[in-house]
Amino acid sequence: MTQPIGTDYKVADVSLAAFGRKEIQLAEHEMPGLMSIREEYADAQPLSGARITGSLHMTVQTAVLIETLTSLGAEVRWASCNIFSTQDHAAAAVAVGPEGTPENPSGVPVFAWKGETLPEYWWCTRQALLWPEADGGHTGPNMILDDGGDATMLVHRGASYEKAGVVPNPDTADSEEFEVFLTLLTESLAEDSQRWTNIAAGIKGVTEETTTGVLRLYELAKTGDLLFPAINVNDSVTKSKFDNLYGCRHSLIDGINRATDVMIGGKVAVVFGYGDVGKGCAESLRGQGARVIVTEIDPICALQAAMEGYQVSTLEDVVETADIFITSTGNKDIIMAADMARMKQGAIVGNIGHFDNEIDIAGLPRGGAERIKVKPQVDEWVFPDGHSIIVLSEGRLLNLGNATGHPSFVMSNSFSNQTIAQIELFTKNDEYKKQVYVLSKQLDEKVARMHLDALGVKLTTLTKEQAAYIGVDVAGPYKSDHYRY
Amino acid sequence: MGTAEESLSDQGLLRLVWAQRAMPALAQISERFERTRPLAGLRIVAALHVTAETANLMLVLRAGGADLHLAAANPLSTQDDVVAVLAHRYGIDVQARRGADRATYDQHLERALATGPHLVLDDGCDLVGRLHTTHLDLLPAVRGGCEQTTTGVLRLRAMSAESALRFPVVAVNDSGIQQSFANRHGTGQSTVDAILRSTNVLLAGRTVVVAGFGNCGKGVADRARGLGASVIVTEVDPTRALEAAMAGFQVLPMCDAAAEGDVFVTVTGSRGVLAERHFAVMKDNAILANSGHFDLEIDVAWLRAHCVDVHPEIRPHVDEYLLAGGRRLLVLAEGRLVNLAAAEGHPPAVMDVSYAGQALCVEWLAANAGTLAPGVYDVPTEIDDGLAMLQLDAMGVRIDTLDTAQEAYLTSWRNGG
Repeated sequence: MTQPIGTDYKVADVSLAAFGRKEIQLAEHEMPGLMSIREEYADAQPLSGARITGSLHMTVQTAVLIETLTSLGAEVRWASCNIFSTQDHAAAAVAVGPEGTPENPSGVPVFAWKGETLPEYWWCTRQALLWPEADGGHTGPNMILDDGGDATMLVHRGASYEKAGVVPNPDTADSEEFEVFLTLLTESLAEDSQRWTNIAAGIKGVTEETTTGVLRLYELAKTGDLLFPAINVNDSVTKSKFDNLYGCRHSLIDGINRATDVMIGGKVAVVFGYGDVGKGCAESLRGQGARVIVTEIDPICALQAAMEGYQVSTLEDVVETADIFITSTGNKDIIMAADMARMKQGAIVGNIGHFDNEIDIAGLPRGGAERIKVKPQVDEWVFPDGHSIIVLSEGRLLNLGNATGHPSFVMSNSFSNQTIAQIELFTKNDEYKKQVYVLSKQLDEKVARMHLDALGVKLTTLTKEQAAYIGVDVAGPYKSDHYRY
Repeated sequence: MGTAEESLSDQGLLRLVWAQRAMPALAQISERFERTRPLAGLRIVAALHVTAETANLMLVLRAGGADLHLAAANPLSTQDDVVAVLAHRYGIDVQARRGADRATYDQHLERALATGPHLVLDDGCDLVGRLHTTHLDLLPAVRGGCEQTTTGVLRLRAMSAESALRFPVVAVNDSGIQQSFANRHGTGQSTVDAILRSTNVLLAGRTVVVAGFGNCGKGVADRARGLGASVIVTEVDPTRALEAAMAGFQVLPMCDAAAEGDVFVTVTGSRGVLAERHFAVMKDNAILANSGHFDLEIDVAWLRAHCVDVHPEIRPHVDEYLLAGGRRLLVLAEGRLVNLAAAEGHPPAVMDVSYAGQALCVEWLAANAGTLAPGVYDVPTEIDDGLAMLQLDAMGVRIDTLDTAQEAYLTSWRNGG
């Protein structure tokens, strides 16, 4: 690191670093994609000069990503993108760094701990975006690595309000979180009327991890408001068809089990939304012996669910009889407080979609329900009539809140895409306009290839004749861009 | 000797050899029997379905040294070309002809019995019944028997309870591996096969209602789910209902399921499982099939009596019943065993397990009958294990063996660790 970090980080407990380091080493073994990228680019140092601000769940796997970025020459500052998803030992290990000690940390400035308040969360995001300079001032990152788009949104909204010269009154916000967000920007505007405008101007691009963030980016691009190029990492095949599907298949039931230890076999589980995440959730619940009911608004996904043998129904039809409710829509207002009031005693409600607006937690106390904390991230809500339900992680991502998120191997796929996308945007910045891009099929295939050896997969090679017959190169890419896998 | 034309013999041989391909366990037993001749000097009378699979069993028993006499357990299941090849090529006494009338069928059984058996192989308790009523003179020579079906075993247990049974009989049907192979896998596969062959319906995305979650029901439910159907199970037994629920199937009373199903399969062994009150709420074009033993599970008689019109055989094995109000119900195979009527029943691989069990039980009886009191016996555990081992060998599956220390650990109550 070129700058002394001193107290330029904030984690729960820096003494957890040794434990975190052990877990990082275990994870490295399960992340062959990232490790082979480190090897491939060890000499080239393609991210030399990159100042990357990351806003992404501060887990053990993310630690391996962060240290991959630094090993390619980047400087990095980090915040988590969720108040509950930080693994404190991972955050401590990243702050301390592989060479540092808790007394003398030499790692990456990280601002994340499990159980942040909303003001703390946005403070952390801001800290990750503000790069201190020797003169006491600060500059910004030249790259963003985002998950859900919060860092990108802070820069965009900040710049936009600075242009307007005013931030909307926080009292007019439609959610508690937005109120906190506007308050932060109001203060920021008072401190420096050009802060986010300047930072935005220095940013070469953003690579976005997830569906929700990608949606925001496409909206910005559509209205011409996108301030820098973006790579949609989510829609790499080796991301969305792996992380979203296999990752959630693994971590959904892990979260439910750790939170409740409820017998899943024999229960009726409702999965809201049958996209990649919903597909993984439905499969894992069925695999445990639950009877799974799917709700959908999209006729194609609904038909897919039906053809897999799932009952497709509506919330209205199943709300009073099902045992487990999991939202995975990426939309808002999926399960409202009035719905939860109708659920049966002991029903379990959780969300695995990116944001906490799928389940109307705020409506519960308004409707007179009382919260009893069972244990961290597990709440019993007692309704005025005396019956109660269990809500996991306050409606936030339960696989991260109640368990440890996706396993390393899956995240190795996602994060290899992230790293390659960072290299692409940073080293070939001239080739990208203020639009949203996906990685080429070649790079997608490269990520997959990096993970085959670890699984003992033996790939067959096309002969020249076979390659010519289907009109592809022997080395790929093997599918047209519109192929759906 | 024999009752079929010699000209059918070549065709019968092809059929016999085709079945042999899928009966590796029987082949292994045959090799051993040829060396050890465990049935030398024994006269065996068998009343079984005279099919290619049965013919292979006969050849195994003959390899073991037995003097064999075979009669048909059902005149409709006899394959005349198999009779011909057994009689004319292998010189085995077969009393059977397809479509024989009742008198001829009786005569066939009587002729076989008259040879004076030491052991009997029964499929439905025909031989044992005759020996204990009209052929008491032959009883003293009989050392034991094997029974192939559930129905026969029920009758034998009733006889045994009244102390009427005079020799030991092995309930081959009740062996664990037989139940699993024949019911779960045999009926499971062939029932789905029959529904597909007769209707060509796409099961993915449809709701299949399986009545009964015994071995047959489990097999059908698993396969329907495997093809993408949403499966509803109906049960009367709380244990099985719980098994179904824990396996992730929806469990409903039939009155509720009736309105949901696109395809109904009854495998309960009971009667009146699908009846008027269910027909009343079924969807237009619902498909109704039975794979239970008798044709009483679907109340086809009610449909015949009360439908507005019936269009028989709109496809082979599919009868369309038009109900008042315009709905149509499609009944497969007249409500009889759909897997036998519209498909081919148990595949030879299933009969391999069944008949390998028969062969090993016959060997066991030949060695032990003298020491056994009259009564119904379960298949000895070592034979059940042996049957499984023969299948594993044939499939190329290898397993571990306990070492002596492990065996001691598992059998000693003193050994704590």
